This record gives sequence, C-alpha cells and structure tokens, in this order.
Amino acid sequence: MKKKKNLLIGALVATLIGGSLIAHPAKAASTDLVIGSVLDIDKTDPHTATNFATVRALGLVYGSLIEIGARNAIKGGLATSWIFSKDGMQLTLNLRQGVKFHDGTAFDAEDAKASLERILDTKTGAAARANIATITSITAKGRQLILKLSVPNAPILAALEGVNMAMLSKEDIAAAKIGGSNKPNGTGPFKWESWEPTQSVKLSSFSDYYMGEPKIKNVTIRVIPNEASILSAMNAGSVQFGIVTDPLIAKQVGKNLKTYRVPSLNYYALQFNTKAAPLNDKNVRLAIQCAINRDELIQTALFGEGKVTGPITSPAYRSDSSARPCPKQDLAKAKEYLTAAGKSSGVSFKTMVTSTGWATSVAMAQNLKAQLAKANITMDLDIIEQGTYVPRWLSADFVATLANNGGRIDPDTMYTRYFTSTGNLNKVATYSSATLDTNFLKGKASGKVAVRKDAYASISKELEDNAIWIWLATPYEYRVSVKNLRNFSALANGSLLPLRSASLR
Amino acid sequence: MKREKNWVNYYLQSTSGIVGAVLVLIMITLSLISAFGLAPHDPLEQNPMDALQGPNGTYWFGTDQFGRDIFSRSIDGMRRSLSVALLSVGLATLFGVTLGVVGGYLGRWIDNIVVRTSDVIFAFPAILLALAIVNSLGNSWIDTSVAIAIVYTPIFIRVARGPVLSVKEMDYIKSARVLGYSSPRILGRHIMPNVFAPIVVQVALSLSWAILTESGLSFLGLGTQPPDASLGLMVSEAQALAAFAWWSLAFPSIFITIVVIGLNLVGDGLRDALDPARRSTS
Amino acid sequence: MPCAAKVVHGITIFSIMKKSSLLSRLLSVTTTLFGISIFVFLVLRVIPGDTITSSLGIETGALNQEQIESLRKYYGIDQPIIGQYFSWISSFIQGDFGFSYSTGTPVLQLTKSALLVTMELALLGTVLGVFLGISVGMFSARKPGSFRDFLGQFFGLLALAIPGFVLSTTIVTVMANKFQYFPNGNEYMSPVEDLWMNLQQMLFPSLVLGIAVAAPVMRTTRSALLETIDKDFVRTAIGKGVTAKAVRLNHVLRNSLIPIVTMTGIQFGYLLGGAVIVEKIFALPGMGRQILDAINKREYATVQSSIMVFAILFVTINLITDLIYRRIDPRIK
Repeated sequence: MKKKKNLLIGALVATLIGGSLIAHPAKAASTDLVIGSVLDIDKTDPHTATNFATVRALGLVYGSLIEIGARNAIKGGLATSWIFSKDGMQLTLNLRQGVKFHDGTAFDAEDAKASLERILDTKTGAAARANIATITSITAKGRQLILKLSVPNAPILAALEGVNMAMLSKEDIAAAKIGGSNKPNGTGPFKWESWEPTQSVKLSSFSDYYMGEPKIKNVTIRVIPNEASILSAMNAGSVQFGIVTDPLIAKQVGKNLKTYRVPSLNYYALQFNTKAAPLNDKNVRLAIQCAINRDELIQTALFGEGKVTGPITSPAYRSDSSARPCPKQDLAKAKEYLTAAGKSSGVSFKTMVTSTGWATSVAMAQNLKAQLAKANITMDLDIIEQGTYVPRWLSADFVATLANNGGRIDPDTMYTRYFTSTGNLNKVATYSSATLDTNFLKGKASGKVAVRKDAYASISKELEDNAIWIWLATPYEYRVSVKNLRNFSALANGSLLPLRSASLR
Repeated sequence: MKREKNWVNYYLQSTSGIVGAVLVLIMITLSLISAFGLAPHDPLEQNPMDALQGPNGTYWFGTDQFGRDIFSRSIDGMRRSLSVALLSVGLATLFGVTLGVVGGYLGRWIDNIVVRTSDVIFAFPAILLALAIVNSLGNSWIDTSVAIAIVYTPIFIRVARGPVLSVKEMDYIKSARVLGYSSPRILGRHIMPNVFAPIVVQVALSLSWAILTESGLSFLGLGTQPPDASLGLMVSEAQALAAFAWWSLAFPSIFITIVVIGLNLVGDGLRDALDPARRSTS
Repeated sequence: MPCAAKVVHGITIFSIMKKSSLLSRLLSVTTTLFGISIFVFLVLRVIPGDTITSSLGIETGALNQEQIESLRKYYGIDQPIIGQYFSWISSFIQGDFGFSYSTGTPVLQLTKSALLVTMELALLGTVLGVFLGISVGMFSARKPGSFRDFLGQFFGLLALAIPGFVLSTTIVTVMANKFQYFPNGNEYMSPVEDLWMNLQQMLFPSLVLGIAVAAPVMRTTRSALLETIDKDFVRTAIGKGVTAKAVRLNHVLRNSLIPIVTMTGIQFGYLLGGAVIVEKIFALPGMGRQILDAINKREYATVQSSIMVFAILFVTINLITDLIYRRIDPRIK
C-alpha cells in the first residue's frame, strides 16, 4: 500500500516534468520574427526617446529625412537629395514622393516642418534638440524643405538621422497625439500594433511602405529580463533574433545560430569632475591615464570583445589612440605624475557606477580599481541604480564616474554638447576652452572630411593631453539570429532598420 | 544554574543540534581565517592570466572572470554574510524584544502603537522594503544590516510579546504587583526568564533568514557591492558564466546552503533543549 | 492555554490570540493599511531622483526651470507632499489607482493582468508546496528516527536552505543549455489564452516557490503528526480496533490540519511578496516585476497602488487563515 502511493506520487511528478519536456513550443510561421531584448521600451514619443530599446523599436516605425547605411555612410531617407548654399548657411532638402503615414495620410514638407519645429520647441524636451539648434527658420516649399542656419553647419545633415529626428504627421502634432497612450503613427516599414509593458511590443508590416511591404509580416519585440535567457529562448526556437550586449553571452552562441558583430559607436570612459579634488590636478589625472592597461580591461570585462579607443569613435574621424600620453600602461610614469602632483604617497577618489542594465560597467570598474591600486591610486566604487545615477550625473554630483556613453556618426553631434562652453552638458563635462570652441566651429563649417579631420584631431589631442576624461574602450554590438534570416546586416548605430528588406527562408 | 546545565546537556544529546553546531563552527572558522587575512589568496586580487580556471591545486574552487580565487572569495563572502546576520539580528533582537516586552507588559496605547507599527512593517513585502531602505541609506554592510534589522524586528516583537501577555496574567505576577514590586523588578526577575527560551530559538532561526536575505539583496544588486565578495553577488555574477564555468555558481551556492542548514539545526536543537514539553518527544 | 501565542516557526499570525470580534478586527486591519499607505508614500519620496529625471535621463539637463515646472505639474509632483498623499489615497479608495505615464495606461489595468500572474504563481506554488510538504512530512513521521525519517528531514532542510535564486538560476542554466527547453522564452500566455503553454511557463517558477513552501509545511506536518499520535483519543481509537490507515487519515491528519492550514496561509502571503526574484529570472509579467520596474522609473502611483494591493491581499489572507483556524479548532471561539 505504501509502495502504491509512492509510485503514484512518482508517476505524477514524472508526468509533470516529462510531459512538459516533450511539448516543444510550436515553430513560428516563417513570416513572423520574435526579437528578444533585455530592456523594455519606456515611452512612445520618438523625439524624447533616449533608452536604447525605445530607440530601436521606434526606429522600425518612424522614418527620418536622413539615414545611415552600411559602412556608416549618410544616405537619403525621406529626403532623396539635398544641397547646401555656397555660404553653408542654408540647406535645401528634396523630399521623397509617395510616402504615406500608417494612418493613410501622405507625408509632405509641411509634416517635416512641423516635426522639426516640435523638436526645436524647448517644451518638447527633445533629446537631440541641441544638434539642430543652429536652425533659425524652416520653410516648406512644395516638395522642398529649406532650413536656414545661424552658422555654417555641415554636420547638421548627419544630425537629421534617427529616431530622435522622426518625421511625425502634422495633424498628430497639432492634436498633441504623440507619446503617452497614443499609437505611434510613422512612415516606417512596420506599423505599431500594441505595447504590453514589461512584456512585448508588436509590430506588423506596412503595406504602403515606400520601399515595398517588408517580407517579415509580424515583428514582436519580447522583453526577456536577462541575456542568458534570450540565448536559451533562441536555442529553444521561440525567439529568432536577439539583442545581446554582454560579450560573455555572445561567446556562448552555438553553431545553430548566426552572430553579427559590429564595432559599436558607444564608448566607455572614466569621466572626471575636473573641478573637484583630487582630480582638479592635471597631474593626478595623467597619473591615472598612465596607470591603466586598456588591453587587460578589454580582456577581463569585455572578454576580449572590444577595441581601445580615444575620444572620437565616429569611423571617419576616429581618434588615434596611440598618440595619447602613455598609450600603454606605464607605472613609472604614473608615479612621476603623482610625485609632480605632490601625492607620492598615493591618492584616492570615488567613482560612481550605474548597476542597471550594464553588467560590463561594473566589471570594468572592478578591473580598473585593481589596476589603479598597483599605482597607489585608490578608486572607491559607488555603485548605484540608474534612477539615482541620472540626477547625480546631471548635476555633476560626482568626482568621477565610469560612463558608457552613446557615440554618433558625426563627432560634432557627439561632443558639441559636452565640450563647447555653451553645450547643454558642459557642466557635466566640467571642461571647456577657447581653443576647443574654435575647433568645434571649424569642424562645423565644412562638409569635407579631409578639412574637418584636423579640427577633430586637435580636439581629441587637447582632451587627452589634459586627461579631461580617460577614454577606455569601445565594445562590439551583437545581433544573434536564426540561420535562415536572409538579407539582414547589422548597423553600428544599433538600428534594426535592415529588417525591412530581410526575410526568413 | 541548574536550569542552564540542564539545557546544555539536553542540547548535546541531540544529534541534529551537534551536527548543526559543527557546520556553523566550520563556517565561523573559515570566516575567521578570512578575517585574519590567512586565506590562500587575497579575495580582491585579480590575475587575468588565470581567469576562469576550474578547481585545481592552486585555486581550490577555481577562478572567476578576473582570475580571482573563488575559495578565498567564498570564505570572505561567508565572513560578510555572518557579520551582516549578526549585526542585523542583534539589532532586531534588541529593539524587538524591548518593544515587545514593554508593550506587552504595559499594555494599552503603548502596546497598540507597537503592534500597529509592527503590523505595518510585517505586511510590507520584505525585498521591497529593503530595496527602499538601501536606496535611501546607502549600501555599506551596516546599511544592509539596518535594512534587514527593520524587516525582522516585528518578528521579535511578536515572539517576545506573546509570552509576556500570558505570564502577566499568572497569579504570581499578580501577587508581585499587589506586593508593590517595581515594574523593572517584575520584568527582570519574573517575566524575562519566560521570554528567554523562545528568543534564543528565534535568534538562531533569524540568523539563517538574515543570511538568505542578505544574499538575496546582493543577488539583486542591493546588498554588498563589487568588488567586495558576497555569496549572493557571486551567484549573480555566475549567472552568465554558469553554462561553462559551473564552479562559479556551485561553490558559493553550497556555502550558503551549508550555513543555513547549520543554523536551522542549531535552532531545532535549542528548541528541543529549551522546551521541556518537547524533550520527551525527540 | 488556548490564548497563548501560537508560534509557528517564530511567526505569530495576525493577532491570533485576540478573541476580538470580526468588526474590531476589520477596524484594526484598516488602521494597519492606512499606516502602510503613509509608510510606502514616505519611503518612496526618500529615494533620490523623480519621474522627470528617470523618464528623460541625462536630457533633463537641457530643460530650463519653466519646463521642469510644467513637467512637474504634468506628473502631479508639483503639489506639497501632503496634498499629493491625499489626492492619491482618496482616488485609490475610489478604485482609481492612478496613471502610469511611461506606459500611458491606468495603473488599475496594469495591475489586473500582473496580479493574475502573481496570484496564479503563488497559488500553484502553494499547492505544489503543500502537496510536497504533507507527503514528505507523513513519509517522515511514519517511523521517527528511522532512515526514511532522516531522508525526509534532510529534504526539509535542503528546501529551507537553498535560496530561490540559486535554484532558479540552476534550473534555467541546466534546462536551457542541456535540454534546450525554455518555455519562458515564449510570450507569456494566460491560462485562458493557452493553458498548456501557461502551465509549462509556470511549472519551474512555481516549483521553486513550492519547494520554499514545502519546507515549513513538511516540518509542521511532521511534528503535528508526532504530537497527535501520542494523544489519548488516538490511542483509544487504536484500542477500539480502528485500522491504522483510518486512524492516520481520520484522526491524526485531521487534527494536524490546524497548524498546517495556519502555515499555508502565512506562506501564501509571503509568496505574493517573495515572487520578485523568481518573476525576474523566469520573465513572468507579475506584480513583483511591475513594482521593481516602477521603482526604477519613479512611477510613484504605480508603486504605491501596487504595494497597497499587495498589503490588502496579505492582510485579507491572514484574516481568512484566522477564520479557518477558528473554524477547525473548536477551542477558539
């Protein structure tokens, strides 16, 4: 009798476990793509979006005048061609014809004008307002959009790219139907279906898309709160596409899947408050610069998956990282600098690190701490979650912080806001100078890479010679997909837009 | 005197009590080894060349992604867990017992406030309470301990208050009151001895919960902060590594499990030894 | 001594020693809930940062004072603290849980779906836990001191000592990497949408919770059985020739039910709050994740209202447990 009952229990447990094992999830139809992402989107207003997940999702729904293509080249989006006036003070864009919004209305120059005006309106709190702040007036003329500028500003073209420059319908703007519970209405390849917070965003193909309806009919961006689980779900066949930032996870991708690896524009830097002791002393900052072994940092925190970088990560203007003081770790030199600072007995400072979303930031901070300890520099870590980090970062309430900052295709949009004396984040960057201001103006004035290169090289040099921040490394971005995803290419800015021409065989 | 000798004897007769005491003692010894800096490696020392090695002669429990010794980190994590547990349970006992005994003895509005407040804390999800406290206090090991202490104080209030309420109504206490003995004297001489036994048991059990809570908080990134070692944090860091470096997950997990089992067995042993009614059954 | 504090693993359940009427119980519960509402409100304001900084991130730096003021107004954080509290609590009582700005959805709507997930999880966890706990407890109590008793007790200890996050992490790693099985990678399905998928998604998380519940239930069952078996009425029954099985089921188990029910009630309450980590690891869209997420975004109304819902549930479950307890145990009335 005893045995009978035990057997029964055993059988029950076995059915429970065994039964569920057999039931592999049904394979999705070959026009459905499920994307696994750790982060959920946090809003639906493209102009104020800063969260990577939000930018990624809305990037499929909205279009912008300019796009970034393969090898980071600027190409037309909703604008097909453009021309600068001779003095560089006026930009005329010719808009694409036959473009429709998801609600069926046609896209025209008035929509473009209203969208840019919304971004320029300070009440919007648009994320990229500063990048186009040189626009003094916008005129819609037939199929043309004419932008008047306050200074010669060639990089503004690249600044018109991306979700933060999304083109909205003027009716939506007038009715204030952007963000909140309003359904996004863009010109992108995919229509917005629904957003279930902390669960998923659902999109469907837009039949009137100007490049033709995408072959992938349904896209679901599913929130899976850790990257190991994303990989598990991909192995189990329930997710076809994964957004991976942790190099450790990327290394575990098996042969059954495809990995796309692109050098990211983002960069890790040890950001200093040059107004606070002991980092207000240039020699202390240089000592830290010399004490760091970036290769080891990449080896441990990024598992070898990254590249040493200087300030500028924009491919055409990339800083020469071998030109900086102590390009390789030099402990003797670090000691000299410390002595010069009158701190030969050592120095200590606190570094703020955010724990949210980025396991690598914390790993990097740990390795940096261990490295600096060898040079008699004590770096204490202050690890806090994002919600606390942001207000402190904004008010420069830190001595140092290990930042993972977003990079841009153009160095002008990347650093003007930090390192010009009028930049909106200059008080966070804590450094500006007359020469920097001049060089940034010089970089703006021309559209020619060869001419601009010099200006950005000088900027890079000034920042590194004074060790304003310590630029460390740039990671790779990973996209993992099932083998049968065709015609997809990964872009350095993280955009998923190539999905518009991809298909599942 | 006689009473004490009795319960120690009873405790030593229980197998589980002895096993528990041995397990806890082993863990305490390991913590002390770490506290005196006698661990085979510095728990913070990074040897990137030796990263992610399996258990071997040099690194008994293997190494993590920075080439840190997992054994040294585990015993240092144990030291930290035990310190947090001791401080938090100490604080919770001190405040909980005081409030419970005073509230229970004095009754009326004082008791009402004590009970209400503890109900409020009690009905608040513990992790979320700790999260809020750690966010506003900071996350040194003392802050973590205070957060855990706040979570566990109501339990001690209840444990202490119960016996006080029942003893208070007994004839000998009533007569002591009639005889005009002072409240502190009645509390100290007659009531506290009755509260003693359940409190001691509670302390042992709470220590084990506190260790679990600390590691849970660290797992969520709210307790001990890197690069310091903590068992919960090590498990959290091992999440991504576990698929090909099992040792990074296994050893810290085993350490937590052993110490919690040990403390529970000690609690059982104490309960049996201190409760005359139970002696006959076990 | 029926009115002595009933200490089950150190936790006395809600005012169980009070012989007070239901009405006064309800009154005291209400005060407690008000206390909680004030507490959660204050605790949230102590955490640095606010809805604006967490929604705009570093771009907040680009705002001027006037814009910040208008945003504060929009998020309803421009009033003095006391005003904010009263406007929240009065609408909460009327069933309006506030608005989640980031999702553009009323909190009530978010809570409805999240609560169902957590309730199902806690319920399955409790059922599994009670089933496991009682089985192992009976298995153990059959022959105290024997090897099988040792096995049973060892299971109880392990279940008590292995943290949920360790168990979850291990399960996910092993199942996904060795067996390529990870149902939680699929979209979450409610039991109505797809029962089979739902059960698969719930299996491991509720097993993890169930094991945590099983430990105290097992220990309570074992000691209650051992205690009852010594009681006179059981001996009498055996003396009267009632079969051993009938004695076990009718007399022993029935009389052991009181502490088991009590224990289960307490554990269920704890599961609701304790599911945070499991929900996180297994990607379940429940209340724990909703609250953590809202804390990170400083969505005050969402956090406050969700925690109040938790507290109300917790208090209600304790009340029900208490009522059942009175019902089963004739001595308490």
